[in-house]
Amino acid sequence: MSEQVLAVEDLHVWFDLPKKGRLHAVQGVSLELLSGERFGLVGESGCGKTTAILALMGLLPSSADVSGSIILDGEDILAGGERSMRPHRWKDISMVFQGAMNAFNPVQTVGAQLVEPMEFHGVATGDAAKKAAGELLELVGIAPERAERYPHEFSGGMRQRAAIAMALACNPKVLLADEPTTALDVMVQAQILDLLTRLSDDLGLALVFVTHDIPVIAELCSRAAVMYAGEIVETGAMETLYHEPRHPYSRMLFGAIPDPEGEKDVVSIPGAPPRLDREITGCPFAPRCDVAFERCHGERPALLELAPRHSAACHLNDGAAP
Amino acid sequence: MRGIDFILKRTAFALITVFVAVTFNFVLFRALPGDAITNLSKVPGASPALRAELTKEFGLDKSKWEQYLVYLRQLATGNLGVSFSNQEPVTSVLFHAIGNTIPMVLMGTLFSIIFGTITGVLAAWKRRTVRGYGSVWLALGFYSLPTHFLGLMLLLLTAGYLPRGGRVDEFLFNPGLVAHWVDVGKHMLLPSLTLGLVLYGQYTLVVRSAMLETLGEDFVLTARAKGLPDRTIVLRHAFRNAMLPVITLIALSMGYIVAGSILIEKVFSWPGVGRLVSQSVDRRDWPVLQGTFLILTISVVFFNYVADLLYYEFDPRITT
Amino acid sequence: MSATLENEPGVETGSSAQRLRTAVWGILKDRPSAIAGAVMLAGFVLVAVFAPVLAPHGIHEIVGPPFSTPGAYPPLGLDDGGGDILSLLMWGARISLTVGFAASMVAILVGGTIGVAAGFFGGATDTILMRITDYFLAIPDVPLMIVVAAIWGPSLLHIVLVIGLLLWTSTARIVRAQVKSVRERVYVKRARALGAGNARIIFRHVLPQVAPLLVANTVLTIAVAIFDETALAFLGLSDPSKISWGKMIKNATESAAISAGAWWTIVPPGICVALVILACTLMGQALEDALNPRLRVAHLAARGFRLLPRTLRDDA
Repeated sequence: MSEQVLAVEDLHVWFDLPKKGRLHAVQGVSLELLSGERFGLVGESGCGKTTAILALMGLLPSSADVSGSIILDGEDILAGGERSMRPHRWKDISMVFQGAMNAFNPVQTVGAQLVEPMEFHGVATGDAAKKAAGELLELVGIAPERAERYPHEFSGGMRQRAAIAMALACNPKVLLADEPTTALDVMVQAQILDLLTRLSDDLGLALVFVTHDIPVIAELCSRAAVMYAGEIVETGAMETLYHEPRHPYSRMLFGAIPDPEGEKDVVSIPGAPPRLDREITGCPFAPRCDVAFERCHGERPALLELAPRHSAACHLNDGAAP
Repeated sequence: MRGIDFILKRTAFALITVFVAVTFNFVLFRALPGDAITNLSKVPGASPALRAELTKEFGLDKSKWEQYLVYLRQLATGNLGVSFSNQEPVTSVLFHAIGNTIPMVLMGTLFSIIFGTITGVLAAWKRRTVRGYGSVWLALGFYSLPTHFLGLMLLLLTAGYLPRGGRVDEFLFNPGLVAHWVDVGKHMLLPSLTLGLVLYGQYTLVVRSAMLETLGEDFVLTARAKGLPDRTIVLRHAFRNAMLPVITLIALSMGYIVAGSILIEKVFSWPGVGRLVSQSVDRRDWPVLQGTFLILTISVVFFNYVADLLYYEFDPRITT
Repeated sequence: MSATLENEPGVETGSSAQRLRTAVWGILKDRPSAIAGAVMLAGFVLVAVFAPVLAPHGIHEIVGPPFSTPGAYPPLGLDDGGGDILSLLMWGARISLTVGFAASMVAILVGGTIGVAAGFFGGATDTILMRITDYFLAIPDVPLMIVVAAIWGPSLLHIVLVIGLLLWTSTARIVRAQVKSVRERVYVKRARALGAGNARIIFRHVLPQVAPLLVANTVLTIAVAIFDETALAFLGLSDPSKISWGKMIKNATESAAISAGAWWTIVPPGICVALVILACTLMGQALEDALNPRLRVAHLAARGFRLLPRTLRDDA
């Protein structure tokens, strides 16, 4: 029986814009994560998914305003701002960034960078730490001797795997992965997905996997949330999203649109997402929606729970339709 | 193997530049309008006997080509000629002057490096705060002041408290070792400080710029994500990476230490290389000038070369 | 790391000079420090141009006893010969600024040409020109300036040329780097395939992309040129018939102004020089910053993100 390891309630993030005004990048995101669960977060570029997960670790710049709750092990770690978030970084939640190629400090050995958080968080020190680092590298399929090498001596795929090893250094409960396979070739991609599956199955690691690549998420995750214009428009189990999507956007993403390439990439939906620096009236997806009706343009749909652990934000699900 | 390649290439370049320097040096001082022969007559108190001897010594009666070869041969034996004004070997004149210049300039340069680096890191870390802006503006302010003007200002401000000029107090009778060095120290304070203040701004701006660029790199975000404290991130991660261009700058600055500062040495009457140059220009003492130029140029070329090698050594990414 | 204007040349409207001016102004107007610099510089230029009208007294006019202190009148005091400091500042501006601008023009022309030649033609030309540049960089510049100025004779023209001939090296390097990167661009190769000759490629395609960086470099060169003029004057190598800010400082030093405590003979000209150098530095830095775009994001700042209490936030 897995218990809830992370819950996010009504997360909002605003960014100050250089000239004037604010960008409402994350608009009321809520989700929950069970231990050992692999949860996908999918949406097109600019929908706010990266900002949302950065917010989970408090890794936002000083131009950002944040509100909401982030509950880790029953404690709202966002309540104290930077001060309350910092102690949990890497120890309870860690992250693999997009383009992890550059996550490494070029003038330090890879091993040293794995050991550093261990020693800082008191997980291990000295030789024990070095040994643990070697074991972590082995876990991700890299020879432990490589720890003495510098990041530029690793190939892209190896660096990505090393970044995953580094993220596991303090045995976190949650691993956030932001497009970790995007820049890699298919073979390496498969290796990494395989690795992540094993890690969550064997170690009970909860995983949030952010991507815009549907087939990847379908393979890896058991549940997912679809983000559009800063908010979650549908969340549910993978099969549900694939076969019974209850939001037009999810349907377009996951649906069986005949595509000779076999790619179901979001880029193929015509139109563009709305601007987030001004307030949106009505449903943000309405301009691009193929089944939009009058109510959609005036009233913003709320996220309704349609079944246990399946919610969607669309007026079509609301009995009191047009 | 590629390491050797790089070193060989750089060494070759350095040597070529030195050779070009030697040649240009010769051309500059022997083939100028109003060349050495005619100018011999401007050497104060040059008796016909002296002139004849100098003419023979420098082969001034031979063709330019032959003079060039004589010059090269002399260089090979470490002979930089003899000063027109006091008949001392140029090497010893230079040696003495360099010995005076180096401590003063070294002090100033060290100050500028340390103070510049600190203010640069501060300006980047505390960007958009009073301390950050203040550091930059102060640095720009001092950077914009002409060197001799700043020196004069400091003299005006400290009038009476610190010596007006020179390296030692002429009237200090038979000082012991400590008293002597305190005396030199007092005299060296203002010139070094002037140099330091004028130069530090450059470091501030370069360090700030390098730090800002580094602070935007992904690995800094990773360090922050690891929960490391700000100070560790700035000093251990960002700074180490940002220092690469600064190290090069430092190595380059070393090359200019020997040259001293003509302006500062003039303001403070400091008996160093700078003052030697301006005096030699006044006296048309070409051998001294020629020797000085050569030494200064070689010094710069040498330290540029060192800077190249250092950069290669410290940045594991360079493959050229 | 190269800088470009937004469009490829070939799809432009308006003349290149116009676009350059708009681009430069666009960059500067967002930075208050650059605007302050531009205003200061413009102020000094105006004073210099209108000096004959603005200056209360002539250059050689004796207004009162030597070393009169500043007060209600004369506002900046008098120098060792009884001349009005304020007027001398205005007259001196003309020479200082002229030398500064003229010398940098020389530097830009020489440096630009060498840079374009080295970058565009590459190969042997490049190597030779760069070795020469290296040499000029290695030579101690102030000593060389002194030597050449001493031999040649200190007329205004000579001073301008001497300063200019030592400042071109940084321009040459920057131009060369930019030309090299532009040379590899698609539209240049296209033009060449269409049969365009070297001259045409250089003038219509390469130079417009080099121009913005060149402007930034020119401004910074002006700052150095003005400094060099004061240095040369201080060392006794300025045109004896003209008065400049550097000359004023030199005169003051030689007339024992320091011992007399007559700071008003030294401080005003020095401050003027410093302000002009500062103005140029601000503008030049702003341009360079804008043209070499760097990540504006800093992952570390003095303050972290801001937390809004739940009760106070707006509704989404």
